[in-house]
Amino acid sequence: MNKKWTTRAWIFAFLAPTILVFLLFNLVPIITVFVTGFTDWNGFSAPVWAGLDNYINLVSYDDTFLISLRNLGLWSLIAGTVHVGFGVLVAFILYKRPFGWRLVRGVFMIPNVISVAAWAIMYKFIFNDDIGVINNFMRDIGFSNWHVKWFYESPAAFIAVTLTWLFYSVIVTLIVLNELMAIPKEVHEAALLDGANEWQVTRFINLPLVRNAIGTGVILSITARIAMFEEVALTSRGGPGNDTYNIPLMLYNGIVNSEYGYANAAGTVMILLGVIVMLGVNRLFRMNEKIY
Amino acid sequence: MRASLWLSKLSGRVFTYGVMIFTVVVSTFPILWIIMSSFKTNKAILGDPFSLPKGFDFAPYIDVYTNYNFLNFFKNSLMIAGIATLIALFIYSCAGYIFAKFEFKGKTLLYVLCTVTLLVPGHAKAQPIFSLIMKLNLYDTKTGLILVYTSFGLALALFVLKATFMTIPKDLDEAALIDGASFWRIFWNVNLPLARSGIATAGILMFLGNWNEYFYALILTTSETNRTLPVALQFFDEAFSYNYTRMFAALTLVITPGILVYLLVQEQVQASVASTGLKG
Repeated sequence: MNKKWTTRAWIFAFLAPTILVFLLFNLVPIITVFVTGFTDWNGFSAPVWAGLDNYINLVSYDDTFLISLRNLGLWSLIAGTVHVGFGVLVAFILYKRPFGWRLVRGVFMIPNVISVAAWAIMYKFIFNDDIGVINNFMRDIGFSNWHVKWFYESPAAFIAVTLTWLFYSVIVTLIVLNELMAIPKEVHEAALLDGANEWQVTRFINLPLVRNAIGTGVILSITARIAMFEEVALTSRGGPGNDTYNIPLMLYNGIVNSEYGYANAAGTVMILLGVIVMLGVNRLFRMNEKIY
Repeated sequence: MRASLWLSKLSGRVFTYGVMIFTVVVSTFPILWIIMSSFKTNKAILGDPFSLPKGFDFAPYIDVYTNYNFLNFFKNSLMIAGIATLIALFIYSCAGYIFAKFEFKGKTLLYVLCTVTLLVPGHAKAQPIFSLIMKLNLYDTKTGLILVYTSFGLALALFVLKATFMTIPKDLDEAALIDGASFWRIFWNVNLPLARSGIATAGILMFLGNWNEYFYALILTTSETNRTLPVALQFFDEAFSYNYTRMFAALTLVITPGILVYLLVQEQVQASVASTGLKG
């Protein structure tokens, strides 16, 4: 009996720090975000109940929030198609183990182990008009008057922000490749025996079999768009006008300007959008169904 | 017939290697361009951004290092990311061990709650975490940032470490128990050494995440004494606005440590990303 209680005490002691982290940095903040999104609160005086004021403000004060939502929609669409598509394509190519596949897999990861802040600043220079490689390249190949002010003019800014992350989908590649490699050899042997060609195996066997991994990739990349901060804050700063504004930028401004209720309304929208994306993609890819 | 087969094979090859070369180029070109330019004079950068450097002049690096407090920012980043990773590894190893090997009421619920936090965008919780750090009087301190970074590892580390401890046979624990080993000793001397690879994986991923973190470092610190490298970069960007050589030297100094850590443990990083879809 005594021994059982000692074990219980140990279990509790081992879990306590983790539970504390969960409460202090997750549960309490999430509840705070949800509740104070309905209050008028500057952080100094107590929050005052304000109903839907912050949400109405979000939508009606100016068009920043609506543009942010439109941007998120567009970026999510691009992320779910081109970004994930490129990652999947690379995975299917590397799966065939062409010469140098390990090198490509290893190198593709490098942009992901660098600080996003540094990456964003690097891209700012790549798109720079005086010294940037894009504009100079265009001028070198004959467009001598090419002076696009990427990040500072519309619609170039949106395109430039998109290009800072568009092709860097190594996470998708790695999870899809992992799933491809887990497909039992017999599946392919049976198909080839039945006279299927390589393209048919890829299209009708491999692709459906890795749809869970692709679905996970779509969720991860859209969630990353919801939380995208550095790529905007360190390049276009949301401009020109509100052209490349997004919700994390609004939330950041809310905190800096001590409009906590407003910031947390934006935070709530972010959390809800994340949940919606997860559930939606789950359904779309029928991710809960057993594959084998 | 044979010719067309040959042609389709060739075009397949071209496509395959085209995509592979493109992937390598988009992944390395920005980095190589920055490093290369950091060895060119400002005039050469403005004159032709594609030209190769004439030599290797480390003067701008020395300048950034000595005159712009770079060493201090470097130390801050290393200390904050390192300590946060160590604390996180310890507390999540403890919890992962319990989740893997013991039964208690509400276990599944607690585990699911802890790991589902991963789905909440980190930025969304910024205001409450900012206020918490203020209340604890830890605004603009390294301790505050360490605390926040420690909390970031929750879902990722638990996920990886629980899986690792589950692979360690329970027979070992029972044998140790019969020998009279205490709860702590069974954990520390029997299980922990065998969980090395999982701990290393979780540690590398968390360290890289902490080392690169920008958003919370930006809102939780203000003075130069507590500034980390990613935030310092932004100030460099403003200070060196037209001195590209120095800016590129600073960028190179910030990105190379992460790349080096990654190159040393490439396989582990790739394997864990592949199985978890997370990168810290």
